[in-house]
Amino acid sequence: MKINIMPLARVEGEGGIYVEMEDERVKEVRMDIYEGPRLIETVVLGKRPDDVISIVTRICSICSTSHRLASVRGFERAGGVEVPEKIRLLRKLVHYGEYIESHSLHYYLLALPDFFGYPDAISMAEKYGDLVLGGLELKKFGNFIMETINGKAIHGENIRIGYMGRIPEKDALEHIKSRALALIPVIEDGIMAFPAMEIPDYMEEETNFICLVPEDDGFGFIGNTIITSKGERFDVEEYKKVTNERVVPHSFAKRSSYAGSPFTVGALARVNILGERLPGKAGDFFRRLWSERWKRNPLFNNLAQAIEILFCLEQIPPLVDRILSLPDPELKEPEVKEGEGTGAVEAPRGTLYHHYKVENGRTVECDIITPTAQNLDDMEKYLRRAAENLVKNPPEDFELRLELIPRAYDPCISCSVHMLRVKVKK
Amino acid sequence: MKPKVGFYELTGCAGDMLNMLNCEDQLLSLFDVVEVKSFAMASSAHDEDTELDIAFVEGSVSTEENLHLLKRVREKSKILVAVGHCAIFGGVQISENNWEERLKKVYGDVNFIHTRPIPHEPLGMFVRVDAVIPGCPINKHQFLSAAGKLLLGTMPELYSFAVCAECKWKENECLLMKGKICLGPITRGGCGAICPTHNIPCIGCFGPVEEENVSSEYKLLLEKGYSPEELRNRMKIFGGKVREVK
Repeated sequence: MKINIMPLARVEGEGGIYVEMEDERVKEVRMDIYEGPRLIETVVLGKRPDDVISIVTRICSICSTSHRLASVRGFERAGGVEVPEKIRLLRKLVHYGEYIESHSLHYYLLALPDFFGYPDAISMAEKYGDLVLGGLELKKFGNFIMETINGKAIHGENIRIGYMGRIPEKDALEHIKSRALALIPVIEDGIMAFPAMEIPDYMEEETNFICLVPEDDGFGFIGNTIITSKGERFDVEEYKKVTNERVVPHSFAKRSSYAGSPFTVGALARVNILGERLPGKAGDFFRRLWSERWKRNPLFNNLAQAIEILFCLEQIPPLVDRILSLPDPELKEPEVKEGEGTGAVEAPRGTLYHHYKVENGRTVECDIITPTAQNLDDMEKYLRRAAENLVKNPPEDFELRLELIPRAYDPCISCSVHMLRVKVKK
Repeated sequence: MKPKVGFYELTGCAGDMLNMLNCEDQLLSLFDVVEVKSFAMASSAHDEDTELDIAFVEGSVSTEENLHLLKRVREKSKILVAVGHCAIFGGVQISENNWEERLKKVYGDVNFIHTRPIPHEPLGMFVRVDAVIPGCPINKHQFLSAAGKLLLGTMPELYSFAVCAECKWKENECLLMKGKICLGPITRGGCGAICPTHNIPCIGCFGPVEEENVSSEYKLLLEKGYSPEELRNRMKIFGGKVREVK
C-alpha cells in the first residue's frame, strides 16, 4: 500500500507525505518538500545590511517579523550595535503581535477543523461560528500590532538595525493595551474548546526539544542561549552544534538532527522546557492541562500555541505601560562596517537563526536556519511511528491521521527551503 | 450560479495568499459569494477538474512542477490573475544572475527526485496573464477591490502613478531630497506610501511603475554621493527583469 498526499493542505507552502507499506511493514516514510528553491542566501551577498534585512524578510510571510528581528539582531551583534531600551521593548511587542496572528491562524483556522471534522474553517463556521470569529478577531489584533509597530502586517520595514523609522503613537499603543485585555476571554474559550476532545496516541514516542532561554527572566521568545530538553546549554554563536544540516534528495529543505537524533522546536518545545515559568492565567492553564504525554505527542503543539496566545495577551498591558514610560530615543542609523554575528529568536514555529559576516559594509556570509527545517526529521519520525501502529488495522481515515502530524507542527515550508551557509569566494 | 475560483501558490512566501486571509472582516462574506475549488493553504477540499472563472496565482515559476501547474491552471481558467511581485516580476529571487552556479553552491550535486528546479521567471513568460495585483505583499484593500470588480465582470485597474503621489498626499517630507536612496519615483503606487511615512526610504516592493525614469533617479543619487554599485543593488531588488540598471 502506498499513501501519497500531495499537496498537504492547510500548511504554508508546498509539501507532501509519502508512505509505502508492504505486508504490514512500513518500507518508506518521507516528508516531501516540493516548494521551489529561491536561493535567498546567495541573493544577499555583496549587499548593504539595510538591503539584506529587506530581502530576507521575504523568505516567509507568516514569520516575516521573526525573520526581520533575527536579521537585525544578527547584524547588531556583528557590528556591536547597542539598541535603545524603548526600541527593544517595542520589538518585544511586535513579536507578540506576530505570535498572536500566526498562532491564531494555525490553531483556529488550520488545525481545529481537523478535530471538528471539517475541510476548512469556513465550513466549520456554520456550526462553530463563535470559535471561528474569535480566531479571526485574535488574528486581526495580531496584524494590527504589527501594522502599528512595523508599518505592515507582512514584510514591514519600520524595524531597522539599531533603530526604527518611527516610534508608534501613544493612542495606538493604548488601543493595543485595551484590545489585549478584551481578547483574553476569547482565547480562554479557545483553549477550553481543545481539551474536551480526545487526543489520539497512535504516534506517541519520546523526543528531544530545543528552544532559546529568554533574555529577560521568565517565559519569552528572544535570547542568546540555546537550551535542550536534556538541560544542555549553548551560546547562539554555537548554533551549528545543534542544527547539523544535511541535504536529502526528496526535499528542497535541508534537514537537522542533534547528537544524531531528530528534535522538535516550537511552541511545544518552549512549553515543555520552560512551561514552569509561564505567569498568570497562561501558567494556570499550563499547570491544569500539561501532562507527560506532551513530551511524546506532537498534537499537543496546537494547545501549546493556544497557551502562548494567552501569555502574549497577558504580557501586553504591562509592556505597553513600560514602553510609554520611557522617553523616545534619538532615531539614527548606525553603520555596520565589519564583524560577524548570529541573531536568534523564537519564531512562532521554533528557533530561527540568522548568521552574517560583514566586510567593508557589505554582507559576505549569510546562513539562515529555519524552524520548519529543524522539525522535518521529527515529523518523519512520528509519521513512521503512526504508520507502523496503524498499518495492521488500516483505519478509513488513514490519510487524515497522517496529515494531523505535520499539520500540528504548523510547518512553514517557504521558510524551510532557504537555509544553508554561503560564502563569497575571493 | 456562484463564480468558481481557485487560489494557487507557485514559489514564494505565500504573503499574498496570507494577505487575502488577512481580510478578517470580509473573509466569510467573500467566500460566501464564490465557490472555492482550490485553496491549499486554507482548505483540504480541492477539485482540480472543474473549469474556473477566476484563478489567482501567486509566486514565481521556479520548478518544472510550477510550470506544469501554471499551464494547467491557464487552460482551465477564463481569467488568470497574477498576484504579487513574484508572479508579476519574479520576486527578489530573480534579482541576481548566475542561477545555476548559485543552485550548486546551495545544494551541491544532489539530484532531486520530485521536480527539477528551473531559473525563476514571472508567470507572463509562459502564459497569458489577464490582470495583476501588485505588491510584496499585495495591499489587501487592492485585493478586495480587484476581486469585487472581477466578480462583477469588469477588470481591475492599476494605479498608474508612482509612490511619490501617495507620499505627497500624506504630506511627508521628501526622503530623496534628504539624500536617502528612496525609490518612490520609479515604483508603482498602491501601497499607501507606508515606508516613507515611517521615514523609511521606498525599497520598490510594488515593482517598476510604467515609464519609470530610472536614469534620472540614478543620476540624482550619484550626485548625492552614492556609488553605482549600491544604487544598482538597491534598484535590482524589486526591479525584476524589466528594469535595466547599467
